Amino acid sequence: MSADQHIDNLIAAYALDCLDEDEMIWVSRHLADCARCRAELSAYQQVVDQLPLAVQQRQPPSDLKGKLMEQVNRKDTDTGQESQDFWHRFRGFLRQTAPVWSLASLVVIVLLVASNLILWQQMRGISGQSRADTMRVVALDHTQVAPGATGLIVMSLDGEHGTLVVDHLPRLSEENQYQLWLINNGERDSGGVFSVSKEGYGSVWVNSAQPLADYSAFGVTIEPAGGSPGPTGEKVLGGNL
Amino acid sequence: MDYANLEDEALIRLIANDRSEALSVLYDRYSRLVFSLAFNSVGDMDAAEEITQDVFLRVWKNAHSYRAEKAQVNTWISSITRYRAIDFLRKRSSRLHFKSLSWDDLSPNSVSIEAANPEERTERSLAAQRVRLAVGGLPDEQKQALALAYFFGLTHSEIAEYLEEPLGTIKTRIRLGMQKLRKAFNEDRRSEK
Repeated sequence: MSADQHIDNLIAAYALDCLDEDEMIWVSRHLADCARCRAELSAYQQVVDQLPLAVQQRQPPSDLKGKLMEQVNRKDTDTGQESQDFWHRFRGFLRQTAPVWSLASLVVIVLLVASNLILWQQMRGISGQSRADTMRVVALDHTQVAPGATGLIVMSLDGEHGTLVVDHLPRLSEENQYQLWLINNGERDSGGVFSVSKEGYGSVWVNSAQPLADYSAFGVTIEPAGGSPGPTGEKVLGGNL
Repeated sequence: MDYANLEDEALIRLIANDRSEALSVLYDRYSRLVFSLAFNSVGDMDAAEEITQDVFLRVWKNAHSYRAEKAQVNTWISSITRYRAIDFLRKRSSRLHFKSLSWDDLSPNSVSIEAANPEERTERSLAAQRVRLAVGGLPDEQKQALALAYFFGLTHSEIAEYLEEPLGTIKTRIRLGMQKLRKAFNEDRRSEK
């Protein structure tokens, strides 16, 4: 769909997050290139933002705040006084050396922007990684195990949730399924197990313990049916956030 | 420092710097909203309590990732609550037992809002009354479709299947409902000026 063909009949549902996956991907891609539809979306997003106000107000249990604050303060204590002292010293060091860091940061930012621009230019046209104002779409690249396969993770505005959509992945035997891995600091959490249709199409709601935006990379491997505690099979797709 | 008079964004900045007093004030300000929204989705007091606690723990852990240019604090917190409740329903696989709580009391008089100052409190209470009037004015079938999408996270086709209605009918109900709300909110804004 080109930016000339607008999607007025789908934007309200997109703002409400009730589109089915194929339409959601379609709209996400259109929004990345269409300022007019992004403005429409923004107007409907304001409607959605107001809806919680229509809910009948209820008072939470009176002891809930105490439980919350106890948990918060316990977690604080668990981090330990030692590490707190370390961070205070570290912050002091950063403050003292702020001018040097500022200059270094500026150089790094310029380099990052330049490299991102080059990458963006390379990726554009093959719909690699695009981004609308409200959704983030992360492209997954295929490995040699699944040439021609494509994958996208569409993330919500707040980075809390997402859906993985794949296409042209080889169909597996009944003993195996694909498994999505969410990667952060070398740790891999399972994001869901799925199979694909005979055309190689599949999708899965990404189920994660922490917001998706907190992860740095994603991968898809072939695992025994039902999934594994950690990746054991060959990797077919991967990408970085 | 008198945290109670601070604006929401200032509280979030303090929370990002591990000031639990700021979280305590934010809780006082938004716990009713979070709990009510969660209860509307899951229809269960214990689950709503669990979700409320989890939402504020997420705010505590993720305050550094809040971006004021993307959303207001109340919108951010509402969004976390909505998706956390939908997650809960998905995990419990109980979405097919929806209780008809969604918009059950849309009386404009039953609004009570906490805020940093009396002006903001009044403004938010009025906004809530307007939203209730607007939603209350929608035809029942549009309200129902919007509720299934908003509170329970159902897609067009899931709503169509649940209500045993054609997909096109559901798409139209959602679109018309949203258009009417948008128009009502715009008229409210114009009349304020």
